[in-house]
Amino acid sequence: MINFQRFATLIVCLALIGVSFACSSSTSSEEEANFDRMAMLENYGQNLIIPAYDSLQQSMNGLNTSANTFAETPTIENLEQVQQQLKEARLAWQTANIFQFGPAGMQTLRASINTYPTDTTQINDNIDSGSYTLGTIENQTAVGFPATGYLLHGLDSSNEEILLQYTADTNAENRTSYLLDNIQFMKEKVDAVTNEWKSSGGDYIATFASEENAGTDVGSSLGMLVNAMVLHYERYLRDGKIGIPSGVRSAGVPRPKATEAYYAGYSLELAIANAEATQRLFLGTGLNGSDGPGLAEHLSALDASDLAAQIENDLGAGIGTLEGLSDPLSQQIESNTESVTAAFQDLQQLISLLKADMSSILGVTITFQDNDGD
Amino acid sequence: MKKYFTQKISIAPLAVFRALFGFIMLVSTIRFAAMGWISDLYIKPDFFFTYYGFDWIAPLGGTGMYLVFAIMGLAALLMMLGWHYRVASVLFFLTFSYVELLDKTNYLNHYYFVSIISFLLMLVPAHRSFSLDVLRKPELKVDKVPAWMINIFKLQLGIVYFYAGAAKLNPDWLLNAMPMKIWLPAKAHLPIIGWLLEYDITAYLFSWTGAFYDLTIAFFLLYKPTRIAAYFSVIVFHLMTYFLFQIGMFPFIMILSTLIFFSADFHETLVRKAKRAWQFLAERFLTKVQKSTSSDNEKSTTALQLSTKASGLLGAIIGIHFLLQVFLPLRFALYPGNVFWTEQGYRFSWRVMLMEKAGYAVFNVYNPATERSWEVANWDHLTENQEKMMATQPDMILQYAHYLEDHYQEQGISDVKITVQSKVTLNGRRSRSMIDPDVDLTTIERGFAHKNWILPYPETQQSWFNRSTE
Repeated sequence: MINFQRFATLIVCLALIGVSFACSSSTSSEEEANFDRMAMLENYGQNLIIPAYDSLQQSMNGLNTSANTFAETPTIENLEQVQQQLKEARLAWQTANIFQFGPAGMQTLRASINTYPTDTTQINDNIDSGSYTLGTIENQTAVGFPATGYLLHGLDSSNEEILLQYTADTNAENRTSYLLDNIQFMKEKVDAVTNEWKSSGGDYIATFASEENAGTDVGSSLGMLVNAMVLHYERYLRDGKIGIPSGVRSAGVPRPKATEAYYAGYSLELAIANAEATQRLFLGTGLNGSDGPGLAEHLSALDASDLAAQIENDLGAGIGTLEGLSDPLSQQIESNTESVTAAFQDLQQLISLLKADMSSILGVTITFQDNDGD
Repeated sequence: MKKYFTQKISIAPLAVFRALFGFIMLVSTIRFAAMGWISDLYIKPDFFFTYYGFDWIAPLGGTGMYLVFAIMGLAALLMMLGWHYRVASVLFFLTFSYVELLDKTNYLNHYYFVSIISFLLMLVPAHRSFSLDVLRKPELKVDKVPAWMINIFKLQLGIVYFYAGAAKLNPDWLLNAMPMKIWLPAKAHLPIIGWLLEYDITAYLFSWTGAFYDLTIAFFLLYKPTRIAAYFSVIVFHLMTYFLFQIGMFPFIMILSTLIFFSADFHETLVRKAKRAWQFLAERFLTKVQKSTSSDNEKSTTALQLSTKASGLLGAIIGIHFLLQVFLPLRFALYPGNVFWTEQGYRFSWRVMLMEKAGYAVFNVYNPATERSWEVANWDHLTENQEKMMATQPDMILQYAHYLEDHYQEQGISDVKITVQSKVTLNGRRSRSMIDPDVDLTTIERGFAHKNWILPYPETQQSWFNRSTE
């Protein structure tokens, strides 16, 4: 036992040395400790997420009103008015679409209102028959923004000819109904999610910014936010908006029709808006430009300000890359695929920083499963 | 020497250990099923990361997997009760190990620990006291067993703790307090102790205490004067890990298992109290109670006798087992490079909570026939957890590349080249490429040979942390 006691003493000494060493090395910078994660969540909820859904809801109301006006008085001016409102709603969607968790998850909002490429055959079958249930899986590719884009931009080559589809065509009445039903369907989805977030409605904001959800587990608010952000950037911005149309997921064969706004022709503008929204999310910038605590500050508070700077830089570079392309994106894909796949590669650089480095340092996990540390 | 092997000692610690282990395994199995993991982990995935040499082990589909878990849970219950223990212990070992071998994505050191303990339990007559088997066949009852039957569990626990501690003696853990420095602040929102977790010194304290605890706890548990205090620290330490980390049942398994270090007297008292409690309840709630079933009062003690043949065989099996236990955790030394980076010899070595590793792997496919190249959407083939685990573990990256090769072959694309761009961050360092991005993984064979297509660990790679001591 003598040896054992001596061994134990040795270990205790080593431990003490270690602790004292730790003391001396850690006194240098503690000034940024105690980052308030709840304040960050509050900032995100109040200044970015709810305003994003608010803005989406308002533009959906505008779209709905203008579509009804157009239905009553189908003129070129009114058609152009609906087209303009659609674009505003789609741009508003580019901020809200990152937040696909909580209420949006319950409503499967993204899949419901923005699944593309849209299925024109299915849309025309629905219009022909005049009987359909929007919201079913088989109609997922026949509703939402992409379908509205087709109905307002893709029926013919000029607005004069498109107008005829709503006035002179044999199916004009059915087509008008379908346009209105589809917009109503989207509006109800958006209303439900927006209402659920607000303190005047479902008050999800209180859950989101609550102390019990201020952890970093997969079910915590930060966990959901970061996972949603990374997933969105990887699969819906990089892949959905740029990669898939340029052919990276189809054995290298380009699919220009798979761009987000193929018929409306402003796919790139949407992609840029989405990249800018991602940047705002990272920096904690509110929808109206207000500055609050965000992921960048959180990383800095964890003493990883270099990482925050690197991500901010790469997000900016990604926006620059996108700005180097031109709308209509589908045409650029056909004329110069390489430039688009190159943009895809540029966007990709950031994913490992978000998915590996940032998630790692924030301590965010992706599954509920037990883990003993990889 | 005889004292530790053949001396006849009370069976009570072994019987209690059996009952507690069966109990906690029953709870674990029910919890696993209730979480929906049977389906998430073993039914839903399209592809499973099998262990090299065990590729023939495949999941049994929906009904089959539920059946396996039903048998596992039932076997755990029977072990706890000691009813048809021999069959139950074999069934438990087989079903549990089968499930663990299905997919290395789900590898956890404590699952490996459970496999080992159930293997050892299979070899000893832990049912010959304090069990329904003894009620069923009173002639089975023995009071004493050879000391080795209990000591093998102490040795196994000691090996687990000691190697877990030894693995912590590395610069990241001791000098940088990694990964505690990342994991603890993430829990800063917790009540009472939360605010403490944001300080670096807390991370160092956890790291050093953790290493000290793991290296020494078995000795303090063995040594009678320190035993009570040591067991108290077992409870505190494991409960702390339970509250701070997403570590599952492991803390409870260890808290119950380490009871085996206590004396025979302690366990005999436990058994007596348990029996008395049962008697009390039975008298209250069951009308017919056979009072005479308990043979506690008989003073004559019986000791288990093993034939020389049986002793020899068991001795050989257990000898080989412990040789493996000592050398398997050291096999990493046979490979060049940093074991945290290459993970060659990482599993089955009690490396627990040692690193924060995360990665991102992009697989590029090139078809020479069409001269087109594209990227793989990993999420079409893997679950989120599989993708995450694969991205940091070279052997899984290779396995997945081979799966993709087969997948494209089935689609009629016969000769693809598959390369990977993989970025990995380890303990807060800036992510770096882990795999040579020019190597066509379809030309590499799986196996235990050194993987020279892993890029060297960037020893000097800067940390993201501004105040790092590096």
